[in-house]
Amino acid sequence: MLVFLVRRIVFGAAVLLGTSIITFLIAFVIPADPAVTMAGAKADPQTLATIRHQLDLDQPLYVQYARYLDRAVHGDLGRSYIRRESVTRLIASRFPATAVLALSAMAVSLVLGIAMGAVAAAYRGGATDNALLIFSLALVSMPVFWLGTMLLIAGGLYLRSFPLGGYSGPLSLVLPTLTLALGSAGYYSRVLHTNLAEEMDRDYVRTARGKGLSATSTMLKHAMANAMLPLVTLAGLDLAGLLSGVVLTETVFNWPGIGRLAFEAIFNLDIPLVMGTVLFSAFLIVVANLVVDLLYAWLDPRIRLSETV
Amino acid sequence: MNGRGFGKLEIAGAAMVLSLVIVAVFAPALAPHDPTRAVAATYGDPGAPSLAFPMGTDQLGRDVLSRIIYGARISLTVGVAAMAETIVIGVLIGLLSGFFGGSVDFLLMRFTDVMLTLPALLLAMAFVAILRPSLFSILLVIGLVSWTQVARVVRAETLSMSKRDFVLAARALGAPPARLITRHVLPNVLPIIIVMAALGTSSTLLLDAALSFLGLGVPPPTPTWGRMIEEATIYFRTAPWLAIFPGLAIFYAVLAFNLLGYGVLRARSR
Amino acid sequence: MMRPFRANCLAATLIAAFGLFFAAGCGDGSDHVNLPPGSSVLHIADVDDVPTLDPAAGYDTESWTFEQAIFDTLVRYGDDNIELEPDLAVRWESSPDARTFVFHLRHDARFSNGRPVTSDDVRYGIERVLDPATHSRGMEYYRNIAGSGDFAAHRAAHLRGIETPDPWTIIFHLDSPDPIFIHKLAMPFASAVPREAAEPWEDDFSRHAMGSGAFMLKEWLGGQRLVLVRNPYYFQKGLPRLDAIVDSLGVTPELQWLRYEAGDLDVVSSIPPAEFPFVMKTPRLRALTQKKTTVTTEYLGMNCQMWPFTDVRVRRAINYGINRAKLVALLNGRGVAATGVLPPNLPGFDPELKGYSYDPKHARELLEDARLASGFRFDLWMRADTTMLMLGQSIQQDLALIGLRVEIKPVAWGPFLEAIRQPRTVQAFLSGWEADFPDPQNFLSVLLSRDQWGSNNDTYFYDPSFQSLIDRASDETDFKLRYRLFDEAEKIVVADAPWAFLYYPVTYAITQPWVHDYVLNPMRPTRFERVAVSPH
Repeated sequence: MLVFLVRRIVFGAAVLLGTSIITFLIAFVIPADPAVTMAGAKADPQTLATIRHQLDLDQPLYVQYARYLDRAVHGDLGRSYIRRESVTRLIASRFPATAVLALSAMAVSLVLGIAMGAVAAAYRGGATDNALLIFSLALVSMPVFWLGTMLLIAGGLYLRSFPLGGYSGPLSLVLPTLTLALGSAGYYSRVLHTNLAEEMDRDYVRTARGKGLSATSTMLKHAMANAMLPLVTLAGLDLAGLLSGVVLTETVFNWPGIGRLAFEAIFNLDIPLVMGTVLFSAFLIVVANLVVDLLYAWLDPRIRLSETV
Repeated sequence: MNGRGFGKLEIAGAAMVLSLVIVAVFAPALAPHDPTRAVAATYGDPGAPSLAFPMGTDQLGRDVLSRIIYGARISLTVGVAAMAETIVIGVLIGLLSGFFGGSVDFLLMRFTDVMLTLPALLLAMAFVAILRPSLFSILLVIGLVSWTQVARVVRAETLSMSKRDFVLAARALGAPPARLITRHVLPNVLPIIIVMAALGTSSTLLLDAALSFLGLGVPPPTPTWGRMIEEATIYFRTAPWLAIFPGLAIFYAVLAFNLLGYGVLRARSR
Repeated sequence: MMRPFRANCLAATLIAAFGLFFAAGCGDGSDHVNLPPGSSVLHIADVDDVPTLDPAAGYDTESWTFEQAIFDTLVRYGDDNIELEPDLAVRWESSPDARTFVFHLRHDARFSNGRPVTSDDVRYGIERVLDPATHSRGMEYYRNIAGSGDFAAHRAAHLRGIETPDPWTIIFHLDSPDPIFIHKLAMPFASAVPREAAEPWEDDFSRHAMGSGAFMLKEWLGGQRLVLVRNPYYFQKGLPRLDAIVDSLGVTPELQWLRYEAGDLDVVSSIPPAEFPFVMKTPRLRALTQKKTTVTTEYLGMNCQMWPFTDVRVRRAINYGINRAKLVALLNGRGVAATGVLPPNLPGFDPELKGYSYDPKHARELLEDARLASGFRFDLWMRADTTMLMLGQSIQQDLALIGLRVEIKPVAWGPFLEAIRQPRTVQAFLSGWEADFPDPQNFLSVLLSRDQWGSNNDTYFYDPSFQSLIDRASDETDFKLRYRLFDEAEKIVVADAPWAFLYYPVTYAITQPWVHDYVLNPMRPTRFERVAVSPH
């Protein structure tokens, strides 16, 4: 297990290193001079020259990268050009808002998705199944930013029951959560449906049914448990994605999370902040992958055996 | 399993896609007005839907219906072209990786891992912001960030395919790799590629609309559905129709390709 | 059956974790602020987070709004005008050659930690700006103080050009005459900063900003809320009249408007465009609004070195071809059609200047003269921002009517600046300039002088007689003559038309009936010292 663990961690670190190189290269093909970004629209050439020197921009690219990496490993992602603040701290200060939204959206989408998927599988081939299939496809096909805008108009303007965006207490969480959750719920219901269908055709389920158990209780007791595992895995990885910021939903609802921070950073070409948010997101995904891999290995020893061979 | 429902799904999807193509191709004939000219002199004050303008007019006095009809052109172009690009890159990397294995596979798949780790929307936004929004840059960027799934699936299929007896036999007989791939492997992974193409188009449409919504779409006056919604956000209290109709258009287009893709997928897995 | 059991455990753990996070996270989301009951509080809102509170760093409206409240400068502008008033300095003298300035400080000003403000603190504030490590955007305004080069290169511990003979006197010596130097001392960059509060935090001073202004920072939750409370040591007796200011961050104009209607916000400084006509049509609401034409000019710049804008007839045709009334209508009337470079409210503005009318027929004749009757296409660059794109599309529609095809190039503003500063790269662009000081030099010399090519003169305009006029005017200390010279220079620019003069933006604000003495300033954000809120 330890060998497996070390292997996975080294692997994750290598992926992160690759990510950092790509992000850094992107940052440096940006045709905007960071000094201009930092000094603002009105700066004179002398100010620009001073700032360029201060930022090490006159050093070779690999030196700049080495310095960046060294600092990043120590948790310092540099300073925002626009806000003049530590990128690490900016991300940390926006994380709670994003986390609340991501977790509530994940919870709602899993509950909805599992319910829809289970019902559809229970009535496999019937009208309910087809209706739910079309409904879930419709949910998946809805553009998130439009759904958000529509919910704002309906819930915020006409019903006046919800705030029109912003982050102020539980009620403000409802519309953005729905916006995020509906699409994934449709997706999860499809995934669960497919998995359940496969499980139901397996021998153990057939045996159980042969012993006289009703189809529904068989599905719930046995097939469901096995079909859930891939879904939870998928949800775990999605959660990592959500936690790294949801640009569109946060933009529609003016949610003070990492997604909005990243959006502002890209629009201002605030390079340290762009790199910071992208790396943070990659970090979460690598960690989630690691956790999922470890869980799988723990649940199914064959995986770790085959890996160590 | 009852198969009739799936057939209907594919047919419905195909019909919807066809209707989009017709609207896009015949936009000049179908649109009642020029989508970029002001037809109502109500600057800064969008006009409500009426008999003359069934979907209303926007803040610049342009006919919303005509803009939606013309918007189908850019959406379909981007959707289909970026999907083609995604498929080409993904299939190439997937085939090479799966067929050759070893260090080729290792390097290509690690690169895929890195790309999968990067957040697609942020990456696309950053690229477009750097390259400046244009049809070309948007096509390039969407292709670059969305090939990873295709590559993984094609690799897995190729891997299982190239272990089959007939491929192994051909290999043992000294058939050149290029010939093996085109003759034996590619035809067998084709069905899954078709499914991924349909589903890929729908996600491409969504990504393109999202970029447009974030102000990074094809520049005006070319009407794009995403930008129409973005322009409408400041009017959503007084003129909600400006946001409703283009959103329905995106929804329709994405649903069309999703129905097609899922239909083919389910028919195949049956 | 081990697997299903474990999977259930996993799901249960995850769900429990959601619940915990959910409960923990919602706590910070509420709007509750701990202030004593009966406090008089002004509630305002902003669309975005405040960029910074560090006076050396901030160079935008939001940052300056609060920097002005937290810090003091030697001199400041009036609440509703751009006349200089005493702030930390009670009086000042300048030498006739505009190279030496002496300020006498008041004795009773204190920082919010109780320490008296001295001339050393004013010097420290300016030295922070000039220290390259601060990356300040304000460097250039103080670079003409003698010894700034040595100081920036760390060859001197202090600026040679600033003398502090006693705690209440500060003397500036400049390398070159600068008749508007006093205005530069009214920018928040030149705030008095307590070294003991700034030095330990270095770049993070923004989060711990402390000055001698009427208010002090109490709480700043990134992207959510900024709270200022009164500075008990503020020198003006009886001021501020408010106990606290609560600024909700990340609130869209639409939401701000609904909160205003519900009485939760006391002031809305950006009425949403869609609501604006309704407000103006409703007498009760209209009476609560106030407006001010800002000292800003919005223009379409044409690169005088690039075809076809090398031809003055083409540049004039563009000026005649743009429907300014339509632009103003698109802004819901929040603008005044521009006649020249200088905006109204700026000293030196010439109300007699006629500018260009909307005359597409004349525009077409000019194009025919220039042998361009069949039209041409050109790229129009602009920042990718909703309002800019709307105005850009309107111009695109107008110019299509005189046979021109405009390609809109929307870009992020960093690359935008980069591109327009390259010679012979950008044919035309949309831009604007907001005055830093109330003087024509801030427009005519900064934006159109030959020595600003590749910097702020992005149209690459050059005219010898214009140049000699502005060179003479810049050093002129007789303000009547100064304004006359600049006026002559402006007339040359209008005739030569390197810009299509678009509009001067007008800002509107609406306050609740219980808010008193909230006034707009044409150049700076509103000041809060005198604002009061009566019980409601």
